[in-house]
Amino acid sequence: MNFQIATKGLATALLLVLAGPAFADTPADTLVIADVIDDVLSLDPHEVSEVGGVLVTTQVYQNLVSVDIEDATNIQGQLAASWEISEDGLTYTFTMNPDATFSSGNPVTAADAAYSLQRAVKLNSRSAFIITQFGFTAENAEERIRATDEGTLAITIDEAYSPSFFLVVLSAYVAAIVERAPLDAHEVDGDFGNAWLKSGAASVGSGPFQLEQWDPAVAIVMARNDNYWGDAPAMARVVIRQVAESATQRLLLEQGDIDIANKLGPDDHIAMADNVDTTTLNGPSSVIYYMGMNQREEPLNDPRVIEAMKWLIDYQGMADSLARGTVSVHQTMIPGGFLGESEYTPFSYDLERAQALLAEAGVELPISLDIVVWNNAPYVDFAQALQATMAPAGIELNLEVVDGGQWLERYRSHDLDGWMGLWGPDYPDPHSNALAFAVTSGDTPDDKETLADRFGFAPGDLSARTMAALRETDAATRQALYEEIQIEHTDISPFLFMFQEQRAIGVRSNVEGLVLGVTFADDRYWNVTK
Amino acid sequence: MTTKITQRRGAQMLQKAAGFVRALASLALTVAITLIGLVALTFIIGHVVPIDPVLTVIGDKAPQEVYDRVYQEMGLDRPMIIQFLSYLGEVLRGNLGNSMVSGRSIGSDILRFFPATFELAILGIIIGVGLGIPAGIIAAVKRDTWVDHIVRIVALIGYSVPIFWLALMALLVFYARLEWVGGPGQIDIGYAYSFSRVTGFILIDTALSGSWDVFVNAISHIALPALLIGYYSMAYISRMTRSVMLEQLNSEYVLAARLKGASEYSIVVHHALRNAAIPLVTIVALSFGGLLEGSVLIETVFSWPGLGNYIAQSLLGGDINAVLGGTLVVGTIFVFLNVASDLVYKVLDPRTRALT
Repeated sequence: MNFQIATKGLATALLLVLAGPAFADTPADTLVIADVIDDVLSLDPHEVSEVGGVLVTTQVYQNLVSVDIEDATNIQGQLAASWEISEDGLTYTFTMNPDATFSSGNPVTAADAAYSLQRAVKLNSRSAFIITQFGFTAENAEERIRATDEGTLAITIDEAYSPSFFLVVLSAYVAAIVERAPLDAHEVDGDFGNAWLKSGAASVGSGPFQLEQWDPAVAIVMARNDNYWGDAPAMARVVIRQVAESATQRLLLEQGDIDIANKLGPDDHIAMADNVDTTTLNGPSSVIYYMGMNQREEPLNDPRVIEAMKWLIDYQGMADSLARGTVSVHQTMIPGGFLGESEYTPFSYDLERAQALLAEAGVELPISLDIVVWNNAPYVDFAQALQATMAPAGIELNLEVVDGGQWLERYRSHDLDGWMGLWGPDYPDPHSNALAFAVTSGDTPDDKETLADRFGFAPGDLSARTMAALRETDAATRQALYEEIQIEHTDISPFLFMFQEQRAIGVRSNVEGLVLGVTFADDRYWNVTK
Repeated sequence: MTTKITQRRGAQMLQKAAGFVRALASLALTVAITLIGLVALTFIIGHVVPIDPVLTVIGDKAPQEVYDRVYQEMGLDRPMIIQFLSYLGEVLRGNLGNSMVSGRSIGSDILRFFPATFELAILGIIIGVGLGIPAGIIAAVKRDTWVDHIVRIVALIGYSVPIFWLALMALLVFYARLEWVGGPGQIDIGYAYSFSRVTGFILIDTALSGSWDVFVNAISHIALPALLIGYYSMAYISRMTRSVMLEQLNSEYVLAARLKGASEYSIVVHHALRNAAIPLVTIVALSFGGLLEGSVLIETVFSWPGLGNYIAQSLLGGDINAVLGGTLVVGTIFVFLNVASDLVYKVLDPRTRALT
């Protein structure tokens, strides 16, 4: 054996390794994002609902209409050039944009659009409720969603709602428009090509990017759609990498191995503050943190006890010392930035007031309550803070810290005292939250259990008024209705609203044009340059 | 005469063959019982833990009817024993089934994640054995000297410092500050799509790509996690080697050898080490098995797409099929490592040969 050659080779290898990878920066035409994507189960837009899946859908698929990021009340045509609403408010007629094409190069037709929305209804995935709330069922979908000619789509809904509500729902991921032909070709046992699309084998959208590769729990790669009918994105590739640890994301970002770090904790943002190569981008998130109390239980059925608890939270102190810039105090059900947002923040920490309320209620102290908490930041911190501030008034919280699966399971059962969690709207319309928090099943069109039902909340006429706000066609009046409803809801509901999340994303300083979304996973990457 | 000898030889060979078949059959039976027991146990644990796999699929907002449909689709409405038997039947046909949550084939999922873990484990055990055994021997021979103390302190640190902390510190120093190695992940993004994944082993695939840069980049990424895993197993192996060697060096046959005037080298290498080798084989085999399960913490910190994370994620998601598949694979590996170390015993120790 040529020992010398071997030694030399080894020495060179060592030297090369030790010299360090001089190629640390990401390629100039590739945007690399670190996020947690190991929970992504499907890349079928009519089925996704995890952050990673929705994020990909946003880049790859388009809808009939889209919502202006700056102003959620402004709805613009995307694949539809224009639309008309019938006198009775039930039929929406969309004129398709003749320029729009799929990534295959084929035009986006009204038939594709009709197929897409019917598919979303018939697949009946966990996200289908967003669109089936307009009365669509597998049986009636073809009759109510139909292409009248190549460029015209007519949709008939079951009740006249505020038009902005229906249009905003059409902008949500579950209403993405897909190309029919390839799905027909890959259909197995009437699954609408779901198995094929779910596996990430391809994408059939019209968006600026198309799916190139999905390596589950490792990376999702999107490539520029060369047939894109709009302005071509600057990035040839967008790679979303699985990096679970916040500290690891920070190291990668500081070294330039990633361009965007989506899951950085407050500690890492603070530690990065002096680094000139990176910046922190802030944007609102529509996620609301709250603690829900079950009013089926004694003494939580006494509104005075609930109100006392609302005075026993050190809102600002928690936001400053625990969340450190990742939340802002928010005490109503609709997130800031949405139509009908309200700045109503009546509660602050006031022990005496809480004690007076408890005395008035005449309940026996101490009250012992079991609270289910997710074993994840920041829920445990928040719950412990509440435990500390409620104890002096005689309300003892026993924290039941559980993992994510159990946390969701307990949330569906009706046998807990309290549940600490979050709510993220599925589409940027106030109804997404209002339906959950303020409407009970008797008032929903399909009699489905809502969040309010889960916590045994009896909202009185608030429930019906919330549904009335949904049917209000005048935007200004609708806004006023929500503002009114929220004040009352905040005062009487068993939901202890605490914070609205503020997103903080770490980015390399050379990254420009990143647009942060309004719901939970609709950031837009197509204008990014670096 | 010759025919008689041939006959006798033939009879001996037949006997040997029969013995061999019997040994093989009993081995197969033991392995089968162990694995079925493993599946049964995992299955029961999987159904006792309070995690609802349906919720992993449908999330928190889907209405009850979707819940009921998915519950049925997953086959959870069938009696547990039926679920178990149908699963066992599939496994016996060599099919690990599909994930209850993602619907992906578990066999191919494991094939995707296992090579990454296997590769790290091989490098780790090479480092662990290559450094751990000599260090343990030296420490035992130089007992209570500074050499011994250093070996013990190094081992103690590897043993007691949380490995994720060590991993983060190592990243901070060697990746972020000194820039000697690549960061978390298997390869730089710039190279990630420039070679084809044939075997799933990153070092082999990058070597096959024929591009030196890509290969070196892969080495620079695997170096740190491999060293850490190697250090971790070295800590264990050196400690065990030291104690096994001490036991041997204090035994009477060593004293006898000394009285005979055998050299120290001969005593350590020919007498003590030879006897220590048998327990060491078990120690090395088991620590290799441990590495093959994948280290969840190392894999998380280094964003390494390995089996440990896969099993842990599946467990948290209530994806019992995936957990069962992963456990079966790891269990099978352990069983075979045990069988292999039994075989090595026979090579090392003549006394164990007669038993079969």
